[in-house]
Amino acid sequence: MAHIAHTAGSQALARRSPWGGLFRKEDWWAIWIGLALVAVAVALFAGGSSLKWIAVAPQKWTHLSDLGQQLKVHGLQYAALFVLWSVAFGIGAAALGIKISRFLPAFVLVYVAAGALYFLGQWDQAAHYNLEPPLVALGIGLLVSNTFGVPRWLDPGLRVEFYIKTGIVLLGAGLPLTLIGWAGPVAIVQAAIVSLATFGVIYFAAVSLGLDRRLAATLGTGGAVCGVSGAIAVGGAVGARKEEVSVAISLVVVWAIVMIFVLPLLSRSLGLSTGVAGAWIGTSEFADAAGLAAAQTYGGYAGNVPGIAGTPDAAVSAFTLMKVIGRDVWIGVWAFVLSLIATTRWERTGVQSKSSAAEIWNRFPKFVLGFLIASAVLTLVTRGFDYAAYKKEVVPALVAPLQALRTWAFTFAFLSIGLTTRLREFASIGARPFYAFTIGVVVNVIVGFVLSTQVFAGFWNRLGQ
Amino acid sequence: MRRRESACCGGCTHFQNGALQLEAALPGLSALSSAYAAVRLDDGICAVHERYVAAASVCPAFADNVAAFGYEA
Repeated sequence: MAHIAHTAGSQALARRSPWGGLFRKEDWWAIWIGLALVAVAVALFAGGSSLKWIAVAPQKWTHLSDLGQQLKVHGLQYAALFVLWSVAFGIGAAALGIKISRFLPAFVLVYVAAGALYFLGQWDQAAHYNLEPPLVALGIGLLVSNTFGVPRWLDPGLRVEFYIKTGIVLLGAGLPLTLIGWAGPVAIVQAAIVSLATFGVIYFAAVSLGLDRRLAATLGTGGAVCGVSGAIAVGGAVGARKEEVSVAISLVVVWAIVMIFVLPLLSRSLGLSTGVAGAWIGTSEFADAAGLAAAQTYGGYAGNVPGIAGTPDAAVSAFTLMKVIGRDVWIGVWAFVLSLIATTRWERTGVQSKSSAAEIWNRFPKFVLGFLIASAVLTLVTRGFDYAAYKKEVVPALVAPLQALRTWAFTFAFLSIGLTTRLREFASIGARPFYAFTIGVVVNVIVGFVLSTQVFAGFWNRLGQ
Repeated sequence: MRRRESACCGGCTHFQNGALQLEAALPGLSALSSAYAAVRLDDGICAVHERYVAAASVCPAFADNVAAFGYEA
């Protein structure tokens, strides 16, 4: 810890100003990048053109020769797409304080590896061998980072949250605002039930096991609301001990990674539709990136695995509605309420926190605004088209290119999850926090399953049709 | 003219909230979240109390940090 105290004086501490946050938080950069791409796509579409040349995506292939042919024909487009992403993410990274000279070399490898995974997912035998890109990306990343190790020069390019938030903003362009308005309230009700139940179970189990209330609250929010982001938001709001935040982070990451594999596997064995499975994953996964990896994996089963009903996109759509609209947006409220309780009811720590209702907005995950704006823009642009014209004109020229860019951004994130998860560096968890959190995981999964497959099943099934 | 906050953690020499340093101090943070996330605000680690605290918090061990000039709580 001593080194931290010594380095504090040598670096600029965070400063608050009304506009500073718009450029020094990745949420805002995800919005700028995502909405800029949406704006360009809409402008080109309005002018009778399309973004599809640069939003290149691998097509289905059977033999390696097909693959070679695709690369030969579209090589220039892949190079242009690399430049586009490098400029967009490079500027964002530089604004966040990551040197562009360190970001770019790492991003070259991220882009090439993500491209290879994207191509692998388009192999016509990929589903047969269970080679879903999110799982392969995660598996390879975990294997490399926990055996051979990842060279430190790659770290600046492994920005899971930056990529996933940008992808979520782009995802908004594929979800009509009317659908969000229709499904949002149900998602909020389902998420509220699960979040309150999960938080309550973890919190009271932790306190019963003799753990500090601040650790109990940090663990509870990590399990119930938005994973690691929830843990750090509440950990800071209540003034938890540093090692308590580390324990919560470790538990969330480990369980989130387990769930990436378990939830799609269970859903598949039960033959759940893509909409229902997406809702369950959105209810019971702990982090956006992990959940999107699981949901995209399950969406890939539609049409490839017998008995899985629904569209491929329904899994990701249901997940996003449940997790982002139903759970993530409430983190500021949780942080405010818990900080209020901590400052008025719990024992003092030597550091006096300040509780303010401003916390609700200050800790709001701003990228959600980009998601909603992208949805509103596409809804407005496409409102004059009937269904046939929408499928024939709007989808190929406007929606599909943005969907391809979203898949690229998600693939960068999935690859980065595995490569940044170095289990040996994690804090020693201890038995009591493990038991408390794991009880919450079990409750979360069961309640999420019942709500998604029984109580609201009809609703989530309709989403996938 | 910027106002100097004389007593909150954000202006204290014992307070560390640099994003990269936080991600190094809290392993796993960058795997499924980020120190650059809006939800973190300006929270950081207090080296005296070894706690993860909001920048607007206060404590008697406050020691003025010249590098933090301009911080506003």
